[in-house]
Amino acid sequence: MAIVVLSPGILTSVQDGGRNGYQQFGVSPSGPMDAHAFRTANILVGNEPDEAGLEMTVMGAELKFTAPAVIALTGADMGAMLNGVKAGTYKALPVQAGDVLKLGFAMSGCRAYLAVSGGIDVKPVMGSRATMLGKNFGGLDGRKLQKDDVLEVRPAAGELQHLETYFTEPEQIPAGTRTLRVIMGPQEDRFTEDGIRTFLGSEYTVGQDFDRQGYRLEGAKIEHKTDSNIISDGVVTGSIQVPGTGLPIVMTAERATVGGYTKIATVITADLPLIGQCKAGDRVRFKEVTVEQAQDLLKEEADRLESLRKRVQDPAHLPEEGEEVPQASAPAAAAAPAAEAAHEFEYTKDVTICINGKAYEVTIQKWK
Amino acid sequence: MSEAVIRPAGDSALLVEFENEISLEVNSRVRALKYTLEQSPFDGMGDLIPTYRALLICYDPLKIRMKKVRDEVLSRLGHMDQVSMPPAIVTEIPVCYDKEYAVDLEHIAQLENKSEEEVIRIHSQSDYFVYMLGFAPGHPYTARFENPFSFKRMENPRLKIPSGSIVVQLALSDIIPFDQPCGWNIIGSTPVLACDYRKENPFLLKAGQWIHHTPVSREEYLDIKKQVEAGTYVCRTWEKED
Repeated sequence: MAIVVLSPGILTSVQDGGRNGYQQFGVSPSGPMDAHAFRTANILVGNEPDEAGLEMTVMGAELKFTAPAVIALTGADMGAMLNGVKAGTYKALPVQAGDVLKLGFAMSGCRAYLAVSGGIDVKPVMGSRATMLGKNFGGLDGRKLQKDDVLEVRPAAGELQHLETYFTEPEQIPAGTRTLRVIMGPQEDRFTEDGIRTFLGSEYTVGQDFDRQGYRLEGAKIEHKTDSNIISDGVVTGSIQVPGTGLPIVMTAERATVGGYTKIATVITADLPLIGQCKAGDRVRFKEVTVEQAQDLLKEEADRLESLRKRVQDPAHLPEEGEEVPQASAPAAAAAPAAEAAHEFEYTKDVTICINGKAYEVTIQKWK
Repeated sequence: MSEAVIRPAGDSALLVEFENEISLEVNSRVRALKYTLEQSPFDGMGDLIPTYRALLICYDPLKIRMKKVRDEVLSRLGHMDQVSMPPAIVTEIPVCYDKEYAVDLEHIAQLENKSEEEVIRIHSQSDYFVYMLGFAPGHPYTARFENPFSFKRMENPRLKIPSGSIVVQLALSDIIPFDQPCGWNIIGSTPVLACDYRKENPFLLKAGQWIHHTPVSREEYLDIKKQVEAGTYVCRTWEKED
């Protein structure tokens, strides 16, 4: 079984749960920007939650499957179509040899995830299949996917017994200002009281520089007591650095492992998916919580995923009457051209979007 | 000796800070704490990131809560004077100071008002300490404890310098593992790889060890480079004498 990349989208990469154990050598964990959506996708195809899948950014890929498999899509809704028919998210989708899955522009959020039963087979580097795009290793040759790439898929542990129970309510990515809960520190004592007030009381906007390494935010400047330099120390995913500009930078999956700027606070692990689904122009604010509260929230998140895993495996878990259920796809060759032609869009427009200073030309299509 | 300060760094890590200075003495406490934790890890312990004066201790909050991690750290800190560390290792880094690779050697000699031979002698005569790794995988932050040179960074950083470059300023000398922008002067080049993903442990160096630069000719450089490419070259190492 393999997946052929017909079109890679803007930025699609292989990710797994991340690379742990090598941070003392300068290797950051990488892994998915929205771990919640990523793990949900894996659970919906019967995989371990951290199995290797695909992360797609802003505009998704077009992929062809060479053999039957089960896939699931979560995270940002990119209007996926399977052989030209709307595919749906947050449910197991059986695909046949020759089927084509095409994703478009993210209607909300920033990143979509595709899990495939068995998981994507690339050679692990330091125990992980996650791509480290910034340092060119891991995943498929250490890079984002390109046209004509072929991704091998490992055989699934076993066939899913009752595909129709592998679904969950699609999750909405919040619109408007998102509240990121934070634990203050470790260097909050390097900021003035005014500085702390500004940080916790202002709304910040995601700037053009947002990627897997970090999110630069724009808004009110945060005042330091003296300066922004520290003797370099360790950084975690979610660390909020405030350099001399006074503007915060949220460090994400491909962040550095050490840094020499003051860190005013850290985004709690349970809220990291919220920042991972932000793109330029989105707004965030920060709210202080305690470590105990953050750890309780993380436990709740783990329990939610575990109960989802149990629920989808339960033969009695069936959709309500009238709900859409996963169905085998229409035969690829016959369905594709007809469906494509029959499809009507409310509008189609070409736009230029910017990610981290690079411009991309994309076509947005919205269904009627 | 002042008390260590323990601060949360989010919900999955604690930062243990020692005195706010860059010195071998302060760093030895970072290393001792890391060593005791590695020797007897607590359940749920994750990555340990040592830096100049602090140790970041990652943990899995689904396995252990912050208060317990704090207790674990405090108990280790209470027994730090009983820790006997293994001897530090010195790794030999072969360096070619030939003009072709040492593109700034002439400039450095002018800045220091010394001959090129003298600059090479100074750079290769005593060991540099590896405080930590970071910036890029395998990239060492090294220093020595007298000031071998007086010059700082260049005014205009280069947009790209090749991997293997040995770059210097003041008491610092780094090995560049991957092509990158850099504002330091290039004193030479090593054929060995600070990070080689083909290997199970890709990293040449570890925080808390030393490196020694040994001058090699252009011919030796090319010969070692071939062995490195074939995966057969092993750097010489020895125990650091006190």
